[in-house]
Amino acid sequence: MKKFFAVVKREYLQRVRTKFFVVATILGPVLMAGFTVVPALMFSIKAGGPTRLAIVDQTGKMYARVNRELMSGQTRRPDSSPEPQLGQGDRKEQISQAGKLIKRTFTVEEVSLGGRSLADVTKDLEGRVLNRELDGYIVLPPNLLTDGQPEFRTRNAADLFTKDALKDAISDAVRGQRLVDAGIDEKAVKKASEPVDLKTIEAGGKESKGEASFFLVFGMGLLIYMSVLLYGQFVLGAVIEEKETRIAEILFSSMRSFPLMIGKLVGVSLVALTQLGIWAAAFLAFSVWGVAWLAGRGFEIPFPHIRPILFLYLLIYFLMGYFIYATVYAVVGSMVTTTQEGGQVAMPIVLMLVAGFYLSFNIISNPSSPLAFWASMFPFFAPITMLVRIVTETPPLWQILLSLGIGIVTIVGLVWLAARIYRVGMLMTGKKASIPEVWRWVRQA
Amino acid sequence: MEQSKPTLILEHVTKSFRDFTAVSDLSLQVRPGRVFGLIGPNGAGKTTTIRMIVNITVPDSGTIELLGQRMNTALQDRIGYLPEERGLYKKMKVGEQLRFFAELKDLRGAEASKRIDSWLAKLQLTAWKDKRAKELSKGMQQKVQFITAVIHDPDLVILDEPFSGLDPVNVDLMKQTILEQKAAGKTIILSTHQMEIAEKLCDDVCMINRAHKVLDGTLRDIKRSFSRNAVALQFEGGDGLLNDPALVANIRQNGEDTEVLLVPGASPQQLLKRLVDAGAAVSRFELVEPSLHDIFIEKVRETA
Repeated sequence: MKKFFAVVKREYLQRVRTKFFVVATILGPVLMAGFTVVPALMFSIKAGGPTRLAIVDQTGKMYARVNRELMSGQTRRPDSSPEPQLGQGDRKEQISQAGKLIKRTFTVEEVSLGGRSLADVTKDLEGRVLNRELDGYIVLPPNLLTDGQPEFRTRNAADLFTKDALKDAISDAVRGQRLVDAGIDEKAVKKASEPVDLKTIEAGGKESKGEASFFLVFGMGLLIYMSVLLYGQFVLGAVIEEKETRIAEILFSSMRSFPLMIGKLVGVSLVALTQLGIWAAAFLAFSVWGVAWLAGRGFEIPFPHIRPILFLYLLIYFLMGYFIYATVYAVVGSMVTTTQEGGQVAMPIVLMLVAGFYLSFNIISNPSSPLAFWASMFPFFAPITMLVRIVTETPPLWQILLSLGIGIVTIVGLVWLAARIYRVGMLMTGKKASIPEVWRWVRQA
Repeated sequence: MEQSKPTLILEHVTKSFRDFTAVSDLSLQVRPGRVFGLIGPNGAGKTTTIRMIVNITVPDSGTIELLGQRMNTALQDRIGYLPEERGLYKKMKVGEQLRFFAELKDLRGAEASKRIDSWLAKLQLTAWKDKRAKELSKGMQQKVQFITAVIHDPDLVILDEPFSGLDPVNVDLMKQTILEQKAAGKTIILSTHQMEIAEKLCDDVCMINRAHKVLDGTLRDIKRSFSRNAVALQFEGGDGLLNDPALVANIRQNGEDTEVLLVPGASPQQLLKRLVDAGAAVSRFELVEPSLHDIFIEKVRETA
């Protein structure tokens, strides 16, 4: 047991003390913050001042309304729900959502025909646009309120965001005017069309924020996936290290291969957990201060409310998921001779995690189906699929415990397998192992 | 002379890998406080034998007994092993590295630090204690590896090709260190292809060829049994004198020396008389024992 700790200590200290670890640990949260804060800040930068527009109002009564809508639009908050909508909304929709985050201002001038022909006036305006005195002009046709189509001429026809803003403003103005023309109280209509927010309540339970929990599960799956990719390489390297440096024989003359393999796995995993722990702490700090700071600047980041027990499950299944795939890397490491080779062999297995993601789409809607049951028992899927079930329709405790049990047995079994292959592989020095050969090693050692 | 109880006893040890027999029915005894040479050509089964002794693999049949106990995991701490396939953690500092290997042999704390320092001093490596292994020359790395085999003060030290990659100065240092270990009562198993060194260091020799033991005993006894009536000569004149098949079986020229193997039954005196009679100026006339090198080659041929 003491030797086991010697291995853990070495694996841990050797990695944590490297410059790479320190740099990666510091850069991690910086990048993370960068990805969330920088885009928000960039949207808030006003580039190039207000958009200068001219409006040619052929209806003779719409200018004031359009102008008002444009001005009020500048302060209008994005009206979509702040929670992300999964799988819904096409690309275009997403872009215009993002566009609404951009703060824009307009300066508007009214151009009356003043007896001149429309062609004359537009020719004049065209010139001003080309001379950069204006950014664009709008022509509201006389029949705008029935079926007329307004025109927007601009130098930059690709500016979707401005176009959307104008479209919204004109639509709102036209809608308002039509209501007035029909003799309907505009305010009453506004009040009548307030949307309804559906409150979901779990049967027999408290108010549920199912969606938020659900995204948390996906976040967790993503975290497992990224951790496995990131630290799996470390495990691979740790297992291969003694082969490359030819130290294996000295180690085996001092201890058995099973505690050695577990020691390596635990040592490297502690490195991973240290790094993730530091990041989690940084994230927590960001949540407490950063969100408040952003909220103060007008950006609200929603925080899901989650049952505390779910955190426990998240932690347990994260560890299980991480260790299952880390041991896969250990097994692969025991078979191959170089890290690159190992990465290629391990990849298809790690993709099973992705399969788990896909399965969970089905499981969300049928969390108690046989498919859901078996998928959440299969150790390579369980870290995601079982969490999805827990969040949607918590299965009986025995199922959760069973899936954890299967996971633990799988981990121990894989470590045992890795240790065995590793030891026999060392005895057959220099030979590259084929799968049947590895199988023979496993049986004979 | 009373023989003390052997440190290590192998009895009828056999080990096969699928259809290949690496070691076949090997029995041997290694006595305490002696240097035991395990020799043999490449692929003879030496490494497999050693791996069974250090409990990396287990024999298919037969028994291995160390210090009066059947081989087990706990006994591994009583053995120091320098394998032929060896290396160091490249990025780890020498001192830390030695501490790790000491911990693997259940030696830790202040005692470990003390021994690390004294061994580094002994092998002139003190200045390198805080250097990473990759900064060391090959010879220095070899010495560090040697320390890993002896740091925990084992009863049995197994050294597989300990001299490879060392310059003559360090070969001498290593030889001296091995003899010191022997003087301290350690039992040493030395496996090497460098016969001149083995000849100087070993008290006992066991030779393996093709999985079988072909030779076993004290170096002195082995040499005596191989005594082939050989004479080392240096002389001038008396040309053609040695071309007498009735007296001389074989002639070999070693620089200045001529090594003459007499036919069985012929006595060296006959040869000397003949040389003197022929008026040759003899500057050297010495009865020689066969070298371990010669014995090795002869045995390999014989058992091929």
